[in-house]
Amino acid sequence: MEEQLPQEYGPKWSDQRVERMLVALVCAVVALLLALIVTVFVRAWPSFSHNGLAWFSSGGSVEDQLNAISLSAQTSGEYVYTFHAWPLIWSTLLITGGAVLIALVSALFISVFIVEFAPEWMSNILQPVIRFLASVPSVIYGLLGVLVLVPFIGNHLVTEEQKASVAGVISLTGYSLVAAILVLTIMIAPLMVSIFSDGLRAVKPGWLEGSLGLGVNRWRTTWKIGVRSARPAIIAGTVLAVARAIGEAVMLAMISGSVAFAPNPADGLIFIYEPSRPLAPTIVKNIDQLSSPPFNATLFSIAAVLLFSAALFSLAGWTARRAMRKYLMP
Amino acid sequence: MRSKTLAIAAISLLGLAAPASAGAVTLIGSGSVAAQPVLQALFATYTKKVNKKVHFVYTANGGNAGVKDVQNGTSQFAGQARTPLPSDAGTTYIKMFLDGLCLDVNPKNPLSNITIQQTHDIYRGLVTNWSQVGSSLGTTIDPVGRDTNGGTYNFFLQAVLNNEPPASNVNALTADGLVVNAVKQDPNAIGYAGLAWQKKGLKPLKVNGVPCAPGKISVEPLKYPLSRYLFLVLPGDGSTSPKALLKFVDWARRSPLAGSVISKAGGVPAFNKK
Repeated sequence: MEEQLPQEYGPKWSDQRVERMLVALVCAVVALLLALIVTVFVRAWPSFSHNGLAWFSSGGSVEDQLNAISLSAQTSGEYVYTFHAWPLIWSTLLITGGAVLIALVSALFISVFIVEFAPEWMSNILQPVIRFLASVPSVIYGLLGVLVLVPFIGNHLVTEEQKASVAGVISLTGYSLVAAILVLTIMIAPLMVSIFSDGLRAVKPGWLEGSLGLGVNRWRTTWKIGVRSARPAIIAGTVLAVARAIGEAVMLAMISGSVAFAPNPADGLIFIYEPSRPLAPTIVKNIDQLSSPPFNATLFSIAAVLLFSAALFSLAGWTARRAMRKYLMP
Repeated sequence: MRSKTLAIAAISLLGLAAPASAGAVTLIGSGSVAAQPVLQALFATYTKKVNKKVHFVYTANGGNAGVKDVQNGTSQFAGQARTPLPSDAGTTYIKMFLDGLCLDVNPKNPLSNITIQQTHDIYRGLVTNWSQVGSSLGTTIDPVGRDTNGGTYNFFLQAVLNNEPPASNVNALTADGLVVNAVKQDPNAIGYAGLAWQKKGLKPLKVNGVPCAPGKISVEPLKYPLSRYLFLVLPGDGSTSPKALLKFVDWARRSPLAGSVISKAGGVPAFNKK
């Protein structure tokens, strides 16, 4: 043992050793991820193998099917696995799609405004506020939705005729598609804004100055040069937002309505007031049934679909960004 | 699996919570969520005011799971909100206190009485307008209930719906508090919640003409249709349990102090002397 100051950072913490440790850590993380994926799919398998592709189709009431699955385990007869998840999938698509679409457009304009047009003092205020909004836990948005938005929609926007027209089938009480989409938009838009504006700020100043120097006005420069070259960041932000929206469970369980009903656009305006229940909240609401084997498989099959679609979106985002590598800073 | 993990967690907690003093006893229980608020209040009062050496660990994992824990020995007692079933063999049910499920509407609703049959029809989607149950409101009914995780859901299912599932127009919320909140905010809503939830902004209905009030729930025969006993479940014939536990049960059932604790926590004392 030499008595030197950097002794403990010396040979003991050589670069090689650190590198080996980091590699081991990465391997552990990858192994954990693989184990997670394998576990979810193995547990989900009974449900998929019994239903086949019909899992994704519609047919009968999801609630009745879940009841039958739960009962089959209690009466210790044959396990029932029949499950047609279309109303849940449709609800997830509508809510996620609606929220991401609205958030994408508004976040794009907000970030362009913050980066290019807002006076400095204003963007100095907006920046931290938006970063804070992006980190607010979803349950707080859920509470605000339940206490403010849902009663407002239920008591002021939905009319008695509309309620009576669907009485006995569903209740239009404000727990609705529009409430879920609005709150989800508010939840994911700040995330998008902060990533988009980072991307816009990273655009090479020379490109923008060149455009301005040629006499192109500021708006056109921002739109054609700034936003175009920030596309990789826009895709990255959108992918992240989609992932958060698909997996959102607590907030949606609180305000989307609890019925596995498939809102039907053919119903007209009522459509946006109709309740529904996406995939992730279905897991939350039935968590106490995990101990029943067929129900366990069904819940894990929902989890597997969520996992798979999240992976698919990451992959799609990665592919799109690869195609746009030329826009990235050297 | 879950209860095992919980038991391990409870035992490790026990190591932290139980003081090292000699003669201290820690009693481990699990079960009913509905009984939890009252049981926790009783435990706290007992440890504080009656016997400082007795401590309790209670995991609210649901009544049925709690009875299983008692049967396989992971718990020394269980809270339970339903009457005994054949599958509970080898356990003893002790009536502890009473609870009532109130049917609530918004104070703006002039309705004051409802029958079990009407409630059944509302939650089965057969009756959808307030005028059909004699309310001058004349609007569409918004029925609100609990999701399947709730103990109150099971009780409502048995007592009102004859074990038929609620209709698709019933909005099933994830917590009793959310049900209460929904009824407070919506003039057209009807919901159900335990006695402990009956506060301002809610209007408990008379059920079959009997008001949802502690006085009507406590007197045998139980006049209020939606009242129930909450039980403590012990293994065997109940005599093999630790002395400290039996003493607690006796105190909780009989002492006036326990009676006031029960009513403060939202239950109705059944046997406690005034």
